[in-house]
Amino acid sequence: MSRRPPTVKRPIVRRLIIWIGLPLLVVYSIVAVTSYIQNKKASLDRTNAYLLELIRHQAAVLEARFSSVSRTPEIVAETIEGMRSLSEERLIELMERRLAAEPDLFGMAVSFEPKAVDSRMDAFSVRAFRSSGGVSITKSDAVSSYATADWYLIPKLIDGPYWTEPLFSAGSGNELACSFSHPVRLAGAFAGIVTADISLAELEKTLQGIDLISGYPFIIGRSGTFIAHPNPEFVLRESPFSLAETLSRPDLRALGKEMIAGRQGIVALADIHSGEKSWMVYTPIPSTGWSFAAVIPEDKVLAPVQAQLYRQIVLMIAGLFVIFLGIVVTSYGITNPLRKLTAFAGEISTGRLDVRIEGIRRRDEIQRLAEVFNKMVADLNQYIKDFTAATKAKEAVESELRIARQIQESLLPRVFPAFPERPEFDLYAKNAAAKDVAGDFYDFFFLDEDLLAVLIADVSGKGIPAALFMAVNRTLMKTVCQKGVGPAESVRMANEILSRDNDACMFTTMFLAVFNVKTGELHYANAGHNPPFVISSGRGVRLLPSMGDAFLGVDAEASYHEGRDRLEPGDLLVLFTDGVTEAVTPAGDFFGEERFVRLVADHRDDDLPAVWNRLAADLDDFQKGDQFDDITVVLLRRSG
Amino acid sequence: MKRFLNRSGVLIIFLAAAAFAAAVFPQDGKLLVLQVQWVPQAQFAGYIMAMEKGIFTAEGLDVDVRFSDENSSPITELRSGRADFCTAWLSTTLTLDRPVVNICQVLQKSTLMLVARKESGIRRPEEMNGKKVAIWGGDFAIQPLAFFRKYGIKPVIVPQSYNIDAFLVGACDVASAMYYNEYNKIYLSGVDQEDLVPFFYSDYGLNFPEDGVYCTRETWENHPKMCRSMRRAVLNGWAYAFAHPEETLDVLMDYCAGYRVRTNRAQQKWMLEAIRQAVVFGVGENPSGWGVLKKDDYQRVSGELLRQGFVKTVPAYEEFYKD
Repeated sequence: MSRRPPTVKRPIVRRLIIWIGLPLLVVYSIVAVTSYIQNKKASLDRTNAYLLELIRHQAAVLEARFSSVSRTPEIVAETIEGMRSLSEERLIELMERRLAAEPDLFGMAVSFEPKAVDSRMDAFSVRAFRSSGGVSITKSDAVSSYATADWYLIPKLIDGPYWTEPLFSAGSGNELACSFSHPVRLAGAFAGIVTADISLAELEKTLQGIDLISGYPFIIGRSGTFIAHPNPEFVLRESPFSLAETLSRPDLRALGKEMIAGRQGIVALADIHSGEKSWMVYTPIPSTGWSFAAVIPEDKVLAPVQAQLYRQIVLMIAGLFVIFLGIVVTSYGITNPLRKLTAFAGEISTGRLDVRIEGIRRRDEIQRLAEVFNKMVADLNQYIKDFTAATKAKEAVESELRIARQIQESLLPRVFPAFPERPEFDLYAKNAAAKDVAGDFYDFFFLDEDLLAVLIADVSGKGIPAALFMAVNRTLMKTVCQKGVGPAESVRMANEILSRDNDACMFTTMFLAVFNVKTGELHYANAGHNPPFVISSGRGVRLLPSMGDAFLGVDAEASYHEGRDRLEPGDLLVLFTDGVTEAVTPAGDFFGEERFVRLVADHRDDDLPAVWNRLAADLDDFQKGDQFDDITVVLLRRSG
Repeated sequence: MKRFLNRSGVLIIFLAAAAFAAAVFPQDGKLLVLQVQWVPQAQFAGYIMAMEKGIFTAEGLDVDVRFSDENSSPITELRSGRADFCTAWLSTTLTLDRPVVNICQVLQKSTLMLVARKESGIRRPEEMNGKKVAIWGGDFAIQPLAFFRKYGIKPVIVPQSYNIDAFLVGACDVASAMYYNEYNKIYLSGVDQEDLVPFFYSDYGLNFPEDGVYCTRETWENHPKMCRSMRRAVLNGWAYAFAHPEETLDVLMDYCAGYRVRTNRAQQKWMLEAIRQAVVFGVGENPSGWGVLKKDDYQRVSGELLRQGFVKTVPAYEEFYKD
């Protein structure tokens, strides 16, 4: 049964997308936006410069045309001023010549003040204009017909040339026309006005011919009125100022002021027709006081820039798609083997070590990991085999050790009472071994009828070496004690023998006493062992002090002192190893000598096995059943 | 029987209709012509709306509003009988040798004015001394001349065309203007009002009420009821125009297009409001108070005309104004 592995909270594919895909997306976007902004600005600048140049050029063309016409009335006025005698015929001839010379001229007129030419003459005006046949002439002698007309009045008032604002000329088939006027001075006084009329019919066509990228051109007059505009309803009716009011567009009024002030510029504005964002360029036509302008919708200007942006976005999306695809493929390439490895590891954890991971052929770290996995499983398998073998071997050794321990225990005298035929004393010894084969031992035996040797020892270390060393010790002690040289000499001899061939550097602490069962005399030697104590029936407790002698097996030259004491009837001699006093609680408190002494003292009159049982129970209780070291106690009481 | 009934039925209906028409239409079914001073513009919005919205018809009048140009004068048309009613200035009608009757004084205030540029330094009438002041001729000259005399000013008077171009290019220092027309045209030529110094004659004790509705003495004497209907219809027409300015402007712009008048909505909007101010001046917003010719206005205008020698006599107020 295959079990789905638990979902990963932060999958690698997500990390790769976050740390590679997203930064790329951000960088791409920044690049796209930046380049769009730059391109937009560059394109607008370029287009605006182009437009400005274009309308300046067109304005210059118009300017050239108008300034050429504007010279005509001046030339005619100067000619009239230079004439010695004025006549209608000469004026007509003069005007006809000019009409022939200036194709842009539609008509001309010379209009005089009353009495200006001749004191008897009233005002008169002669007009020549192109007609279907050639040049037609009209005359008027009513000053009221022109005295208050702008083309006459204004140049008269300002005493200088003047362009009238365009009108729909009734005489020229309702075509847009305007007049350029120049005053005539005779005998130093204002005498009349020469006018040259030009048709502006061509103006619309000229404007239509300009390529303005879907924009449109227009012209406004000196007071803002549209002279040319794609919307014919605007011509001579509306102005930026009237549209500003009607459309509530104060910006148009400000713009109109700029234009009629003869300035040039570029502004962004909402188109009055469509409302879309547009750009307007404007420039003056100086000789007329007009302003020439063009309006271009921004989206037309920006169309190529936007197309480029769209291309960039498409490329960016395609590029990102490829990158994301790459990320997904790569991350699955990583995570799939990892998932296999995870499942594999899960199988291993159930104990199946006969499996191998297959199918990861990548020549990368993942494959290496898979190989290591396989090797690890193989090693583990081997190790477990080895471990099983070792465990078996160890169990065999332990079994042998157990037997060795039984043999060791059997070496110690274990039958009590040991000397039922001797009523002078009572003896009890017990060795509670820790888990391993240990090095504590005790022994007692009669040297002759009255002398009883009693010894307790603790061999350093544990295990087989300690057990063997102990066996050597014990045999050796029996041998040297039999020589009857007293405890100190016996110990010294044993030490010398042990030290000499002690390659294993093992040592033993030992207390050896020779007890005269008749007299109670006690001779003893102590090789670094815990000093035993005597619980006296009358004199309390006393230690058999240590004489500072060395352990057995360390120094072959060491000498040992003999101590003497005497057991009174009822005195109890207590020998013990450090397993008693150093019994420890799980919390680390030691059982201690004081507690030990008090316990034994409290039960001094009990049976010796009962004393031991009491102590064993207390120690067991104290250590919570966890014994670390051998506990060995020998109790010897002189009978009362 | 059936045929007779049909014939007599038609006859009876016809006779009944004729009798009804005679009772309802005091002009005996005749088309009345109301000739206004100039081409279509908001100055005549009240008359146009009275015609367009059936207000004349509601008064039992069948009226055609006609417009004028350089070649036709409302007074001439009235005198010739081609027009039954006309609009004209009080200062014009008081100078006629054959008196006419004012049946409704529509404008209560002079809209004629003088205007100077602030940068010319002219702030008070006296500062026009020696300056070029452009004025229109004829009746338009009466108030400025009275104004110059009243303040002892001796300006250089120059003629003025129907445009304001001379003022705009600085050919004159002060120009005449109608508040409802040229004054705003200056604004619509890019000159802000705060750069102008206006002189309203009405502020200088020379308020000459302008447009009124006139008919001949004969018309008034023969058809006083019809004249009163005309007065009511005209004032209702104005009330309608002022109450519905956008609709009125729509109608006006159509008229202007039809008559090829070169204007724009902004200008007509301004004009309608300026005319409204002149209509309600001194008589309040309620139309029931409109259209009166006040005696002191009459005396002021006639007194000035007599003083300037435009006329030697003027008709009595009661003879001149009939409501």
